[in-house]
Amino acid sequence: MISYLIRRILQLVPVLLVASIAIWAMLYAVPGGPVAMIVGQDASQEQIDAATRELGLDRPLVVQYGDWVANAVTGDLGKSIFSKEPVVKLIGQRLPATIQLAVFSLLIALVIGIPIAIISALNPGTWIDRVLSSWSALALAVPTFWLGILLVLLFAVELRWLPSASRYVPFWSAPLDAMRNTFLPALTLGVYVSGILARFLRASLVGELRADYVRTARSKGLPERQIVGGHIMRNALIPFVTIVGLMLANFLGGSVVTEVVFTYPGLGRLLVQAISTRDYPLIQGIILVIIVIFMLINLAVDMLYAYIDPRIEHS
Amino acid sequence: MKSTGTNNLSHAVKKPDTDAVLSVRDLTVSFFTNGKQVPVVRAIDLDVFANEVHCIVGESGSGKSVTSLAVTGLLPVTATVSGSIRLNGIEVNKADDETLRNMRGRDVGFIFQDPATTLNPVMRVGRQITEGQVVHGLLAASDAPGRAAELLTEVDIADPQGRVTQYPHQFSGGMRQRAVIAMAMSGRPNLIVADEPTTALDVTVQAQVLSVLLQRQQALGSAIILITHDLGVVAEVADRVSVMYGGSIVESGTVQDIFDHPCHPYTAALLRSVPRIDAGDDRLETIPGQPPTPAELPSGCVFHPRCALGANKARCQTERPQLRGFGSGQMTACHFAEEMQPDRPAPPARAATQTRRADMKPLLEVDDIKVHFPVKKGILQRTVGWVRAVDGVSLRVHPGETVSLVGESGCGKTTFARAIMGLLDVNAGDVRFDGHSIVGLGRRAMRPVRRQMQYVFQDPYSSLNPVLSAADIVAEPMRLHGLFEDMGGDKRIAELFEMVGLSPSMMGKYPHEFSGGQKQRLGIARTLGLKPRLLILDEPVAALDVSIQAQILNLLQDIQRELDLGYLFISHNLSVVRHISDRVAVMYLGKLVEQGACDEIYENAAHPYTLSLLSAAPISNPGMRNQRARIILRGEIPNPASPPSGCRFHPRCFRATDICRAQAPELATQAGLKTTSICHHAGPLDPNEIALASQPKAEQ
Ligand SMILES: Nc1ncnc2c1ncn2[C@@H]1O[C@H](COP(=O)(O)OP(=O)(O)O)[C@@H](O)[C@H]1O
Ligand code: SF4
Ligand code: SF4
Ligand SMILES: [Mg+2]
Repeated sequence: MISYLIRRILQLVPVLLVASIAIWAMLYAVPGGPVAMIVGQDASQEQIDAATRELGLDRPLVVQYGDWVANAVTGDLGKSIFSKEPVVKLIGQRLPATIQLAVFSLLIALVIGIPIAIISALNPGTWIDRVLSSWSALALAVPTFWLGILLVLLFAVELRWLPSASRYVPFWSAPLDAMRNTFLPALTLGVYVSGILARFLRASLVGELRADYVRTARSKGLPERQIVGGHIMRNALIPFVTIVGLMLANFLGGSVVTEVVFTYPGLGRLLVQAISTRDYPLIQGIILVIIVIFMLINLAVDMLYAYIDPRIEHS
Repeated sequence: MKSTGTNNLSHAVKKPDTDAVLSVRDLTVSFFTNGKQVPVVRAIDLDVFANEVHCIVGESGSGKSVTSLAVTGLLPVTATVSGSIRLNGIEVNKADDETLRNMRGRDVGFIFQDPATTLNPVMRVGRQITEGQVVHGLLAASDAPGRAAELLTEVDIADPQGRVTQYPHQFSGGMRQRAVIAMAMSGRPNLIVADEPTTALDVTVQAQVLSVLLQRQQALGSAIILITHDLGVVAEVADRVSVMYGGSIVESGTVQDIFDHPCHPYTAALLRSVPRIDAGDDRLETIPGQPPTPAELPSGCVFHPRCALGANKARCQTERPQLRGFGSGQMTACHFAEEMQPDRPAPPARAATQTRRADMKPLLEVDDIKVHFPVKKGILQRTVGWVRAVDGVSLRVHPGETVSLVGESGCGKTTFARAIMGLLDVNAGDVRFDGHSIVGLGRRAMRPVRRQMQYVFQDPYSSLNPVLSAADIVAEPMRLHGLFEDMGGDKRIAELFEMVGLSPSMMGKYPHEFSGGQKQRLGIARTLGLKPRLLILDEPVAALDVSIQAQILNLLQDIQRELDLGYLFISHNLSVVRHISDRVAVMYLGKLVEQGACDEIYENAAHPYTLSLLSAAPISNPGMRNQRARIILRGEIPNPASPPSGCRFHPRCFRATDICRAQAPELATQAGLKTTSICHHAGPLDPNEIALASQPKAEQ
């Protein structure tokens, strides 16, 4: 298992390399190049030359890239042009908020999605299956911003149960307050993703139900509950884990629309701000973080896979 | 054998037989498909007794599996079941779910066809074996692992303690099926339903599995329903037989009666259409046409469109025959059973195999080729070893000659064929086609050779592109070589259709509109388009039903004669090989262990592996059952990445001595032997040896 883990990590190195080159090269995509970014579009040639020298942009590209990577590895992603704060610090402020929202959203999606999938898979073609499948279709069809606004109008404006703008309150400092603040955006995201998860899990459960080993289990006289819980679920979970990982990665990458609707201080909104102010170092930093998160989650999914599925060779 | 209560049963006497473990009356099953009820099992009567093996034979789609599932209420909810099924005194068709659930696993055990999929891949084998018993309260959960090990011991699995905690993928196919037997037997049921339990297995493993199954049955005194399409298996194990066709039982009786004097034209025709391993025969008799589909059952007697006896009889087309008593103890569903001719005399000895003209040059010459695949391991995926899939094989195929390659699955047959076709790299040795070396030729240089060398695949279902019309499928290879117009265009296609026995009117149809046999004909037509001189046929009839298999084998022989083709025929079915081959090569772990003329291999084999294979193969003659001693080959083919020292066969060989373990034997034609083999102790089988060889011993 350890060797498998190491091998999987080593396989990530080239991916990271390519990604980092692409991100670094973004600087050169700025009109006028990275210098224009610092000195502005209408600077004089002297200013440009000075800045070029100061930033080390007159050095060979390889050296510049090496420098950038070396800094990134030590946690220095440069300074934001807009706020002049270190990029790492800005991201560090937002990341916990995003993680908390992502975890809440995923929990809600699972709590809604899994039972729907199981119930409809076990009663295929019945009215209950049709009702639940329509729910999944609806969850997918309704635009998130629309649902978000609807929820705000209902719970915050009309009923006044929950705040309309969500602050970030760390869960461990004030669990109840944290839940009050995160509930609406998490529900908005969770409902949408529950539709995806329910559809996917239903399809894989229906497939598993037809498998030969299920017939074998019935022929042994096992009760249906044990067949579903003991035999089918574990098999159906194998592909399901991938989808859940993908969804989590998506949440962690920042959920732009939802964060904007609820003015939630997450990574997604930070990215929007960075893009609108052309804050290239910040954009670079956020994208790098998102890519690393994707890779880590992928790794976790693979490990989970190897744990659930004994057929995976990990020696 | 016990009482045979069906003797006095005519359709007038419909009361269930109370002596029987299972008594089925007037069972009809229909499925709701395409908006209407389609009956797939029609008015079946069946009695199965303790200590009895009752075989149900029939071609695919005849309703065998549906019958067996109906017996324990395992059919899907889309099925409508009527009639009476009495199992252990319980009326299955009226029982509630809980009663049925209690019955399963206690009174009935199931063994299904494909051991690769019948076990749950993510649950430990031991748990799967005993969980039924635990659920029924017959076994304490804490005793389960111990009991599972005991059960594995009973089915001859070595290291049962270690195996209990393993997962199914860590078991070989034969071991999985034995584990399934252990599971089915765990509740000491008095009925075991085995649906094609050995169809997916090699003959050697089939022999092991059947012998374990029968041993366990004798120990428990259970009744067995064994479903199969293999008449050899029936002849080897059945006490009584029911033959199904088009959803009905058309004949039943004792195994000896059925084989000696079948009393239904379908049974008689079926028996004539199987190739025999115990006698060479030149040409198979076939049953014209195909088995009916439930949605389009013929009127009257379902067999009438294919029946020679009923050809001009109006009654056959209008009145459905009921199963009735015939002779002493047999039953038939034929109006005119009395008019059947006694079976034709034993098939004439096969016409001498084509003697090769001395001046004839071989079409294909393979010299000592090796195909090795690297085994990669570790973090850096270094090559730590080699799978020696083909390890020094030499072979010749002449024009007009059929050379067969036999051996257990995994011995390297397909790798060998693919290497010859240039689809795999050859590590050593030479392949010459028509005198020219073709090893290492580039794609372009290989093209003209490819034209003359075509490959026919095993699976007619997946080897045809579903979105192309039949005509396009046949034209494709010619188009790829840019020769479609040169070879005659559409006219050529029509010609090819006729050559393989398909009507040119089917040219516009798509693969899904063809039956299995027709698809295989299409596959053959496709390869003939470019006028090849050599066909490599990889298990071309393995996926087909017996009556269709006979049609395709005859077709292959006709085409060969007409076009003077060389065939390299790959098969694990020894009866088929005996029927079609001029020469036979036996492969084991990447090496040819014995080669010779077809009849010599079957009658005068000298290599212990060949002798074991032949001994394991079922013979379609129940009279031979007790006269024939069996060598049950132990274990399964070892991993070719680390073949055993010395002679590769020594761990399984009944003749192995010290020299075999130490030193690899060389290829030799020894004085007095009619074949060429690689063995230190080659020679015919001595009766004393068999007694020694068939001693049961747990496998490694
Ligand atoms: N669940 C099902 N729904 C509809 N038709 C079915 C179903 N199961 C089997 N059949 C049909 O019943 C017929 C008999 O099938 P089966 O008993 O499996 O044949 P056999 O075991 O003899 O090959 C086939 O035509 C098959 O297509
Ligand atoms: S009833 Fe007629 S068609 Fe059917 S098997 Fe007998 S003779 Fe043939
Ligand atoms: S060489 Fe020895 S082990 Fe090998 S087949 Fe011959 S007798 Fe058996
Ligand atoms: Mg079947």
